[in-house]
Amino acid sequence: MVEFLIRRVAISIVTLMVISMVVFTGVRMIPGDPARVMAGTDADAAGLEEIRAKYGLNDPIPVQYARWAALALQGDLGRSIRTRDPVTATVAKKLPITVELACLAVLIALAIAIPAGVLAAVRRNTAWDVLASGASLCGVSVPNFWLGIMLILFFSVRLGWLPASGFVPFWESPLANVQRMIMPAFVLGTALAAVLMRQTRNSMIGVLSADYIRTAYSKGLASRAVIFRHAIRNSLIPVVTILGLQAGALMSGAVVTEQIFVVPGFGRLIVEAVFTRDYPLVQGVVLITASSYVLINLLVDVSYSLLDPRIRVGGRR
Amino acid sequence: MSDASGGATAATRVVPAGGHAEPAEALRRGWRRVRRRPVSVLGGAIVLLFVATALGAPWIARTDPAATDWSQIRKPPSSAHPFGTDDLGRDAFTRVVWGSRVSMQAGVLSILLAIAVGVPLGLVAGYYGGALDQVIMRLTDAWLAFPFLILAIGLVTIMGPSLTNATIAIGLGATPTYIRLTRGLVLATAAEDYVQGARALGAGDARLMARHILPNIFSTLLVQATVSIPIAIIAEAVLSFLGLGVQPPTPSWGTMLNAAQQFLDSAPWMAWWPGVAIFVLTLSFNLAGDGLRDLLDPKDY
Repeated sequence: MVEFLIRRVAISIVTLMVISMVVFTGVRMIPGDPARVMAGTDADAAGLEEIRAKYGLNDPIPVQYARWAALALQGDLGRSIRTRDPVTATVAKKLPITVELACLAVLIALAIAIPAGVLAAVRRNTAWDVLASGASLCGVSVPNFWLGIMLILFFSVRLGWLPASGFVPFWESPLANVQRMIMPAFVLGTALAAVLMRQTRNSMIGVLSADYIRTAYSKGLASRAVIFRHAIRNSLIPVVTILGLQAGALMSGAVVTEQIFVVPGFGRLIVEAVFTRDYPLVQGVVLITASSYVLINLLVDVSYSLLDPRIRVGGRR
Repeated sequence: MSDASGGATAATRVVPAGGHAEPAEALRRGWRRVRRRPVSVLGGAIVLLFVATALGAPWIARTDPAATDWSQIRKPPSSAHPFGTDDLGRDAFTRVVWGSRVSMQAGVLSILLAIAVGVPLGLVAGYYGGALDQVIMRLTDAWLAFPFLILAIGLVTIMGPSLTNATIAIGLGATPTYIRLTRGLVLATAAEDYVQGARALGAGDARLMARHILPNIFSTLLVQATVSIPIAIIAEAVLSFLGLGVQPPTPSWGTMLNAAQQFLDSAPWMAWWPGVAIFVLTLSFNLAGDGLRDLLDPKDY
């Protein structure tokens, strides 16, 4: 067990190091001169040189990397070139908005996926199953940014029920907050719901044919009790793993969704940073995204090894 | 999700390289299975229709997709302009037709790139194992940690926005999936008796990989491609929508939707057709892919 944990954590650390190097060098390859961006268009050569010296932009890349990595480990990712705010502070300000959006999306996805998946599995090969599978296929196929535009068109432009865009913090007005978050969360949740529904259906079908379910039936339990008490709980375990693996897709989805609904979150920050060539901000944002993905999957793996002894003995691969 | 099930079934499905079934009989059985899935056939037919549209764009839409007409700005659908016109008076139908070229190109070429890069790496990692495997897989882990779209956005920013660069970025974003899938399939296949037999007969590494392993994992890779291509098509539309892909005035479904967003209250039809096109194309790809999986891998069902 300890050996498994050490190996798994070591792999994650190596992965994080590779990620940080890739991000650092990648950002250095972006065309455009950061000194020029900072100084503005009317700066002369001496002014540019002064800025380069001040921010160490003349040092060799490995030296710049070492300096940056040492600070990053202490939680200092530098300052945004454009706003001069610390990157970590900027991210800390934006992240809760995206986390709220993502949580709402996951809730919506689960609320759709689990009942639909269970129904499709229990009523296998009936009209319900076909309907659920068809809906899932549509959910995977519909481009989420177009779905967002269509929702705005229908609920905001045509019916005038919901505001098309913007953001109000939850503590200022919970109602206004939810009114503005419900459409983006639904858009972000659809693709996830489709994936989770398929997984729920498949694992539920697997569980329903297991011996202990037959035992539960044969000891005279009502099928409602069997399904709710035994089958659903066990079939949801693989669904949790898929949820962990979908964290990245959720991040990607948030970028687009926040762009359409003008939600001032983490995803909009990425696009903004890229368009303004804000090196430290892009670097920090991408690094944080990739690191959290590695950490989430480390946690999923570790919690799995705690739940299922076969994984830590045999190893997964 | 499909990776895991593909990897698990591949081990049980491999057919000995020597034992051919009667070709006519195999065809008949295949046809029976195809007939059981009329929806997949419909999906495949629609995909072919889109391919034909992309190839025949100059003949299907006879007007210039970039031609502006200042007297026809944001006109609703009519007989002259079945899909209406956009904010520069361009015919939306023509632009949707031409946009299929961009989508097809980005969708298919990017996945071909992912296969060209990912399959050899996965093959080598799975076949040789050891330190090489460790290095390739740690790089793949790091690669996978960047969410698809964020990696693509980053790469396009480095290389500059254009259709070619978007295609490369999407392809590289999809590559780690193919490395992992191929590696898993190779591990399962290399342990098979017929591979061991060929090795005992003196076949070299290159011959084993090219003649005995690759043909047996090909169908699973093909099925994965039908899953990846619609994802790549949507990714191209997203990049173009964000302004990081195809640049105006080249018609692309993503850029059309970007323009449409500003005129939702006055010209909603601008937002309908490019989105419907993406939706129908990706849905058809997924339906056809489901059928193909059934055809090539009957044990899945």
